[in-house]
Amino acid sequence: MNTDTQPDTANQGSMASTDKPLMRITDLAVSFDNGKGPRIQAVDGVRLSVYPGQTLAVVGESGCGKSVTALSTLRLIPTPPGRYDRGTIDFRLGDGRVVDLLDIDDGAIRRIRGNDIAMIFQEPMTSLNPVFSVGDQIIEAIELHQNVRRAEARSIAVTAMADVGIPEPASRLRAYPHQFSGGMRQRVMIAMALACKPRLLLADEPSTALDVTIQAQILELLAGLKAAHDMAIMLITHDLGVVAQNADIVCVMYAGRVVEYARVDHLFAHPMHPYTRGLLECIPRLGDRGDRLVTINETIDRPGEFEQLPGARDGVRPWWPWHDPPPDLVRRDEPAGDYALVEIRTGHWVGLWRTAALADAAQGLPDLAWTRPESTAHSQGAQT
Amino acid sequence: MVGMVFLALMLLVCLGSLPWTTSRTLVPVLDQDGQQVLDTRGQPAFSRGPFKFNQGDPEATARLSPGWWPWKDREEKLRLNRAVDAQTVQQIADEHEASTADVLGAIEGPMHHDLKRHWPRFLLGTDTLGRSLAVRCLTGGGISLTIGLAAALLSVFIGTVYGSLAAYAGGKVDAVMMRIVDILFGLPYILLVVLLAVASDAVLDEHISREKTRYRWVQSTAASLISSPQRSATRDDVRAFLSLQFEPSARFQELALDALTAEWERDKGQREETPRRPVGADADTWLSDFETNREMLAAAASLTYPPRKISEGRRTTYDVLVLLLAIGGVSWLTMARVIRGQVLSLKAQPFMEAARAMGAPVHRQLLRHLLPNLVGPIVVYATLSVPQAILQESFLSFLGIGVKPPLPSWGNLAAEGLAELNPYKSHWWMLLFPCVLLATTLLALNFVGEGLREAFDPKRARR
Ligand SMILES: Nc1ncnc2c1ncn2[C@@H]1O[C@H](COP(=O)(O)OP(=O)(O)OP(=O)(O)O)[C@@H](O)[C@H]1O
Ligand SMILES: [Mg+2]
Repeated sequence: MNTDTQPDTANQGSMASTDKPLMRITDLAVSFDNGKGPRIQAVDGVRLSVYPGQTLAVVGESGCGKSVTALSTLRLIPTPPGRYDRGTIDFRLGDGRVVDLLDIDDGAIRRIRGNDIAMIFQEPMTSLNPVFSVGDQIIEAIELHQNVRRAEARSIAVTAMADVGIPEPASRLRAYPHQFSGGMRQRVMIAMALACKPRLLLADEPSTALDVTIQAQILELLAGLKAAHDMAIMLITHDLGVVAQNADIVCVMYAGRVVEYARVDHLFAHPMHPYTRGLLECIPRLGDRGDRLVTINETIDRPGEFEQLPGARDGVRPWWPWHDPPPDLVRRDEPAGDYALVEIRTGHWVGLWRTAALADAAQGLPDLAWTRPESTAHSQGAQT
Repeated sequence: MVGMVFLALMLLVCLGSLPWTTSRTLVPVLDQDGQQVLDTRGQPAFSRGPFKFNQGDPEATARLSPGWWPWKDREEKLRLNRAVDAQTVQQIADEHEASTADVLGAIEGPMHHDLKRHWPRFLLGTDTLGRSLAVRCLTGGGISLTIGLAAALLSVFIGTVYGSLAAYAGGKVDAVMMRIVDILFGLPYILLVVLLAVASDAVLDEHISREKTRYRWVQSTAASLISSPQRSATRDDVRAFLSLQFEPSARFQELALDALTAEWERDKGQREETPRRPVGADADTWLSDFETNREMLAAAASLTYPPRKISEGRRTTYDVLVLLLAIGGVSWLTMARVIRGQVLSLKAQPFMEAARAMGAPVHRQLLRHLLPNLVGPIVVYATLSVPQAILQESFLSFLGIGVKPPLPSWGNLAAEGLAELNPYKSHWWMLLFPCVLLATTLLALNFVGEGLREAFDPKRARR
């Protein structure tokens, strides 16, 4: 419909190296204390999974809970004011054991942080400690998790710096963060994150603060490193071009819930949720005429948009917090009980109102082991 | 840089000379005929005299201006001549082929010049009691700098720990901790220092004299005697009680009982008539004899709890320590606030989150990621609070609560000097030199603080 990709080319991509998910989040709910008012429910009932070697893009508007989801997987939400209300985050360790990241003790989560799961933060300018040289910081990351001597750690750091494309890494080790440009700092952050060869990288808008050229370089770098280390990436971004170019699976979030989860080609070809359609429609396209772009609001304000899902006639309606619930809503007696994430087509999950038609439907668990074929990895997304 | 060098010099000189200036002078032991007594090895014997900084002759050498000061009146020149020791006078007299009287009377010419050179208190003059101001300034500097540095360190330590704990704990703990600081801020801090100094002084006094302990012992023993079944009513009973009490102590047997019995024997005559009161007499009987019984108990008490013996030097050290703790314990408030603010803002910095995401344990986050970022403000406030502590010490000494004379500090030296400033004849050197030393030291500290701040700032360190 909107992209060049053909729908339902389901088996064209390669299967991931393992058929077991690396991480699986179920029913994650995190809320924040809001002084006197009611608690802010930052995310509620988030369900998603990531497979090894996969890039999962998480998109959604600002404040919809993307960062909270990512931080929760490292248990980095400050508590208080934050609180993990419910949910599990099952993570498969290197030795095959599956642990619930929200349940293990502090020492265990600390060993996982930076070692199995690493994170790149939204702000490259301030994520490095200003009083230490970048070399010290990379070496620290290495020494925290690997039992190596300093000289060894140093050489690992040099390699990591070279990997992320910093020229003269050995001499640059002694430089301080303020002597680096934003792009270089982001590279240092990536070098730090990758120094311990994590199996999952949480990249929270790794390129938002950078200009387009550097942005492309960073993303290419990530893609290359991903292939080299066989790690999964959870890529948080606002940029649908970036999504189209890099992601295998897309998870669209809105107001703290997952509203759509599908393969990138399926999602771009057949966006199911009106919000996703709105997002895609406001991308300018080459060859389009017209004075202005379509806004998201214009899309979601059309009532017809909400009645296009398969089964619409039976009352299947996409979940949308600003609409009154449909009259035949069957609210379950649980948090987020008015909402269900349902596999509406094979490999395509959409967040729906729990109407009568779906009263007994189990909460779906988005689970796609697909990765894009190598050949198309860098050919898509010319649309932006 | 200049400040650093000056300060280092000052520290070196003042602190380095402390062992010498606080040592004792040795005075030769003289027998009744004024002859030197020889010790067992045939050497002249010496006994320990006053401290070096306290050595001086109030009459002969009081208020002498610095030796190089040209405008001295006749009287001062004569006194100056007499301040030179007899041996040197004799030497000079021999050299100039004059009598010692001539030498002492000379107030002009080469003889006087020679005398001036031999005068030991030449450099900065002497104070009201004829003590060398130079030595006193050195000792005072040592004391002032020690108190300043140590109190500043203490306050920085308390402030940093308190502030960062409050900020790191956050929430209610933080609120309560900071309200405490606010309340302390509201109190006049000098009052707090005075209170602390006076209170700890009292505690120290008690620790040494143990008066209260003795008093309590007497009270409780008296109470138990009154209420005991035998109702000890007479001296005999008290004595019996005491001998029971102190049976294991041979020392008491020998000393106390003998002493008491002797006393008892002495005024036996008067007592003989007094009929022995029956056992079981009421408390009134005891009370009627209370005073004398008490005396016996007090004598026993002073044997049980003798006052601790403590040398003058040790006592002085305690005093200084108390003062230092009081100043340091009061001036950490600003530091705590500053550090709390810094930690709060640093805690929210992404690099702290990054450190956590890296899997750094809490102590490592605090010590390796947070503390280095605090070094700047800590150093700046430390260098600011050193002069502040020195000033506070001076102020307290000026009020007579701080360093107590004869121990000098720049503060009480200046106070003494100020008292000597009068329109008739101003002894300016007594005020000027301590003040100049104090002022330059404070200035140097500021330079050093500035320098350190630049050195710790990575952005400016590598220009
Ligand atoms: N520390 C916190 N205290 C209170 N509320 C918080 C905190 N962190 C996040 N929130 C709330 O959680 C919600 C989700 O925030 P989150 O940071 O996940 O947004 P986001 O999707 O990452 O947005 P962006 O794209 O702008 O980064 C927001 O409404 C925010 O107000
Ligand atoms: Mg975010």
